[in-house]
Amino acid sequence: MTEELKGTEIIVKCLKEENVKNIFGFPGGQLIPLYDRLYDETDIRSILVRHEQGAAHAADGYARASGDPGVCMATSGPGATNLVTGLLNATMDSIPVVAFTAQVPTKAIGTDAFQEADTFGITMPITKHNFLVKSTDMLSWTIKGAFKIANTGRKGAVVIDLPNDVQQKTSKEYYRGEIKFTGYNPNIVPNPLQLKRIAQKLVEAERPLILAGGGVIQANASDDLRTLAEYLGAGVATTLMGKGVIPENHPLSLGMIGMHGRLCANRMINNCDVLLAIGCRFSDRATGWSLESFAPDAIKIHCDIDSSELNKNILVDFPLVGDAKLVIRDLIKFIKKYEDVKKDTNIWGKRVNQLHNMCEECEVVKCRGDSLTPEVIIKEINKFLDDNAIVTTEVGQNQMFAAHYYVTKKPRQFISSGGLGTMGFGFPAAIGAKVAKPEKQVLDIAGDGSFIMVCQELATAMTENIPVVVAILNNSYLGMVRQWQELFWDKRYSKTKLGTIPDFVKLAESFGAYGERVEKVSDIRNSLKNAFDSGVVSVLDFKVESETNILPMVPPGGKIDEMIGVERCRHK
Amino acid sequence: MPTQIISVLVEDEAGSLTRMSGMFSRRGINIHSLTVSPSEKEGMSRMTIVTTGDEREIEKVEKQLNKLIEIVKVNILDKNTSVVRDLCLLKVYADKENRAEVIEIANAFKSNIVDISIRTITLEIAADPRDIDRFVELMKNFGIKELFRTGVTAISRDVEKKSGG
Ligand SMILES: Cc1ncc(C[n+]2csc(CCOP(=O)(O)OP(=O)(O)O)c2C)c(N)n1
Ligand SMILES: [Mg+2]
Repeated sequence: MTEELKGTEIIVKCLKEENVKNIFGFPGGQLIPLYDRLYDETDIRSILVRHEQGAAHAADGYARASGDPGVCMATSGPGATNLVTGLLNATMDSIPVVAFTAQVPTKAIGTDAFQEADTFGITMPITKHNFLVKSTDMLSWTIKGAFKIANTGRKGAVVIDLPNDVQQKTSKEYYRGEIKFTGYNPNIVPNPLQLKRIAQKLVEAERPLILAGGGVIQANASDDLRTLAEYLGAGVATTLMGKGVIPENHPLSLGMIGMHGRLCANRMINNCDVLLAIGCRFSDRATGWSLESFAPDAIKIHCDIDSSELNKNILVDFPLVGDAKLVIRDLIKFIKKYEDVKKDTNIWGKRVNQLHNMCEECEVVKCRGDSLTPEVIIKEINKFLDDNAIVTTEVGQNQMFAAHYYVTKKPRQFISSGGLGTMGFGFPAAIGAKVAKPEKQVLDIAGDGSFIMVCQELATAMTENIPVVVAILNNSYLGMVRQWQELFWDKRYSKTKLGTIPDFVKLAESFGAYGERVEKVSDIRNSLKNAFDSGVVSVLDFKVESETNILPMVPPGGKIDEMIGVERCRHK
Repeated sequence: MPTQIISVLVEDEAGSLTRMSGMFSRRGINIHSLTVSPSEKEGMSRMTIVTTGDEREIEKVEKQLNKLIEIVKVNILDKNTSVVRDLCLLKVYADKENRAEVIEIANAFKSNIVDISIRTITLEIAADPRDIDRFVELMKNFGIKELFRTGVTAISRDVEKKSGG
């Protein structure tokens, strides 16, 4: 029998046992008990955001940067509903986030009480799992279970809805040891027979290609993946979520595939004879629209921790369930057993490298005189940041320019909203990442439209002293939508022109943040230096050409290797 | 499109029915019928779901169901080796002239008469849903006033294992 503890005491005890050091949140009536308990808590830092969406995204960014679950909290009703976008964002990208939401007292549930929302019902389809805690006795079991579910198998967001009285009542129940769910046993150990078959196919392959997704990063298997690629001489393409799995300046790296992928990576998908996809889910943004013409001639292998992803979008020859790290390690072991593996993988490796170089060449920066383009800015950012820096992005052209031109060196250092494509993700995510990794440079490559959706978090970053840098590629447009209107809707720019409001420099300054407007190529480097040297959160307002496009791209309905806007690419 | 019967063993938690049915609606899969009842295991219920889909689609449904935390077991029942039952209550227009005929057909289908009024007969039939379909078709000739079906419940037959060899 344990001692009698108050609900909020149990919560904090569990959080400490789960090694939680930081919580992003925003208070309200029903959440006062928990905030009261955190008031004089010294082991857990509680960070006040300025909008609950920011809390969810910050927790998400924290998790992506650190590999540990991110934690956020919000009050009942509007607080909980404000979390919704961020929770779905995390779930779509398989990021472990645990969210605590306050709820009206159990007796008041169902009475349409003030600030009552059916948080359990609302968050059910957008999380990996959720709980409504009806008794303080169940608190510790639920919290520990929630962390387990969020952070094992295919990861995701989990919500714990906490009625006011459950926070305040006391209980002697405290669960120790591991929580077990009869219906939840993620299968992480790959089937050795299937592994053997796959290893054989890889050894026999003449033009092997690895397609790596976020699952490889989640499994902390990036180094193993690189070893496997080098062993096979296989090219490595990634999804947006997989960026950083292999250093993008590695000779075998081909970059991102997909609708806005690099031409060489997309071409390679349809040129390889064996495609090994690991920890990715063949989303429509990665495959293009015509699934039949995605790697039509290749033997397709798909390894993922979530069996429901296998044969979901793309029918494959060899599906395999398992944790990416175990899969890759075992594959290496099996492959090493084949004697004839010593065949000359060099020829193919060289060809991959040739493509890698050609891609770089065609990405030479388009630049007229001293006027700014997104490409130039990101190339300068590449030169300025060190190898450990973390880059986050917003959504739109800025995101795709970043995906193309930012050379990511390590996993967990490129953080972007993939599945949900949430404008306003990058800045709070950068705040979360900086809290997780205070020693690293953290920069958000932003769009003007996205940043204004979450600019209130400048207050968070200022008061909590979280010095991240926001680099706005300010084109005065909702650029990506404008690009579609230009290319596919007769240039009818319906409601995509934002104009020059606000003055982002003054906006930053009003928060006490550092702000600088940049209009010339020659000033980029200095402005970055000023921002990082300022020691406070900074906003760099890069005035870029307003009607530039991110190309090449696969047009709507197109096949993955039939891209438009390839004029600049030599090997088209 | 073939109909499929899915039998699910699920933990009795608040919300597990919503979570299960929500998965179907979210993925655009139709539920034809659904029954929920206690199972032989304490704290667990059995849901029997009838849906349509080819093999590949049903495999997807099975995997998605398995992902739900409260769902402990998912079985796709083979119609050839399962006992499948549906309970139907229906009120048929039957006056003096055709009452005998209605009763005759009901008897042929082993359907019980549970109520009679001047103008109607209420019948009960528990059978394989395809038999009920035929029964209902026939009864339409007399005019159906009200019809209730519980939806399918099903259990697999034990196949005797051959010993020796
Ligand atoms: C919350 C949200 N609303 C709408 C969209 C649709 N959308 C995608 S990109 C985009 C434009 C983004 O504009 P901006 O942030 O200025 O970036 P740019 O494309 O100009 O670089 C819009 C509106 C979205 N992705 N997210
Ligand atoms: Mg813009």
